Amino acid sequence: MMILMASDTVNIYKPLRATLGEVIEESPLIRTFVLIPDEKFVFKTGQFIELAVDGVGEAPFTPSSSPLVTDRLEVTVMKTGYVTGIMHELKPGAVMGIRGPYGRGYPVSEFKGKEVLILGGGCGLAPIRSLLFALEHMKDDLEKVILCYGSKTPADCIYKPLFSRLNSIDKFEAYRTVDVTDDDWDGPVGVATALLDQIKVKIENSVAVVCGPPIMMKFGTIRLLEMGYRDEQIYLSMEKNMSCGLGKCGHCMMGEFFVCKDGPVFTYREIKHNPEIWK
Amino acid sequence: MYYISIKKEDWHRSLEKLLTSHDIFVPVKDEFSLDYEPFRLSQAENIAYNTPKPATPLKNFFLPVRENVTSAMNNGRPRIIIGAPNCDVEALGLLDEIYLDEAFTDPFYRNRRKSTILVSSDCFSVNNHCHCTSYGVKPYTMEGADMALLSEGDYIFLKVISDKGEELARQLSSAAGVNDPESLLFADQRHEKTEALLAELNRGLPDYQATGEIIRRAGDHIWVKYASKCVSCGACTTICPTCSCFLLIDKPDFKKVKQMDACQYPGFERVAGGEDALFELPHRFRNRYMCKYVWRPQKFNSLACTGCGRCIEACIGKINKNELFMELT
Ligand code: SF4
Ligand code: SF4
Ligand code: FES
Repeated sequence: MMILMASDTVNIYKPLRATLGEVIEESPLIRTFVLIPDEKFVFKTGQFIELAVDGVGEAPFTPSSSPLVTDRLEVTVMKTGYVTGIMHELKPGAVMGIRGPYGRGYPVSEFKGKEVLILGGGCGLAPIRSLLFALEHMKDDLEKVILCYGSKTPADCIYKPLFSRLNSIDKFEAYRTVDVTDDDWDGPVGVATALLDQIKVKIENSVAVVCGPPIMMKFGTIRLLEMGYRDEQIYLSMEKNMSCGLGKCGHCMMGEFFVCKDGPVFTYREIKHNPEIWK
Repeated sequence: MYYISIKKEDWHRSLEKLLTSHDIFVPVKDEFSLDYEPFRLSQAENIAYNTPKPATPLKNFFLPVRENVTSAMNNGRPRIIIGAPNCDVEALGLLDEIYLDEAFTDPFYRNRRKSTILVSSDCFSVNNHCHCTSYGVKPYTMEGADMALLSEGDYIFLKVISDKGEELARQLSSAAGVNDPESLLFADQRHEKTEALLAELNRGLPDYQATGEIIRRAGDHIWVKYASKCVSCGACTTICPTCSCFLLIDKPDFKKVKQMDACQYPGFERVAGGEDALFELPHRFRNRYMCKYVWRPQKFNSLACTGCGRCIEACIGKINKNELFMELT
């Protein structure tokens, strides 16, 4: 006799439908979509979803909203190509497809009792925002949370109110820098890594999270190692050409890893043997 | 595991009867090639048993080139696939690890695996580029298929391996158990002969693990040299029984079409922002070798190259991976 297993009825390729609520314009190229899924959607911070425009295509995003909210989620989309270009034209009410959540997110429960240093750049702020929500929720169990973030120009930094809000939360500190300044900017100029010189952190009781463009991840990691962080204290969120999210299609291979399933969050210790990681 | 034997004509008549309930594929030889074709009694004399190797890799029966993966599950007719060489049977190991992975089981692949009875066929001869034994794969099947077939004179001997194989054996009314060990001596002789031929053909070729070491250490010049003849056609990956990468294509009404893809095609790793780790042809070319001999072995238990040699036959640039390995040895 054949026993019907859950997996006999589940089709891993089928998306869940979600209605587009608000569309928030963050910058000329960046919008945040508020999605109302047809069913409760549960994810861990740092996990990603595949978001589909009907009949057009899908792309991977890490939700930028709080993992504690399950009746809606927010995805911040930078216009970089064909699919994201069409996403930017969508109006509230549009029906989109969600698959996921996929992969291994941040192991936040392991951060208990520690100081969490977050180094971010560019579009990396989207997943970091979700992580910050999760950390805020457990702040009684944390020593400290420090965010060092760099964007190209002041205008490229999205979620601006986030920084003043973070600085008003007990135990939270947030620092910003820009590569290229403009008239309104009176903060530091330079790469995000340089902000690490001005913070106070007890490295032996700390973890560092790095999320941003590949070049920043590389130099960020090198700097953290110089500061005395050990390989296993550094968490990297890797960006690859994710497609299936299921550890099958091969598009996200990074050495032996399927980034979609084994990651996207890795400790530096897990992947440092692999020269492919900075490619 | 046990053996049964059946007269060839009875075997073919039994298959004819099974056509009412099953789709049946057999390896048929014509003047150009050897490949699977639907079984027809009238064509039975063209079936080439124990001959390497069907042009189509076995994976194509389980991973169609293109399929709608949001459609209702097609429970189709059960199938009997006859004549897969052991290199192809072995290759299913990796596909199973990927597609039957507990966290995300591909329901289409699983259904096809479930509804297929696999009758492999032991190789009694070798082709130009066969090198299974160099990677520890036998040219005959002991596991992984439901039955293994050996044709000798007027008789078909069937090694019954799995429960599904046993079920099929029960439906072969004119088959008899083989109790006399002497009557199976021919099998050992055939196996030994094939293995000797393979050893001779591939003398000096490094084994699977050693190949991984060589590939890991290979300098850029090797990739530049061999890739200079590669035109990124993807024939090597398409024909490979273990290559199983794919692309998901969106169609209206949230339909998804899954289409076989390959790291040898430009743009395979391009991300939305435009970065493409495999943009340069030599990198792309190297990726296939790293995947097969270094990365997959680190992650999976099954082989990512079973030594079938098809990629060598298929390459229009006449690139022979084994020459590359020999150059580095
Ligand atoms: S890499 Fe070539 S020899 Fe190895 S299994 Fe694939 S097609 Fe066969
Ligand atoms: S078959 Fe030959 S030419 Fe075609 S992609 Fe493979 S190595 Fe390149
Ligand atoms: S995205 Fe398909 S294997 Fe990772």
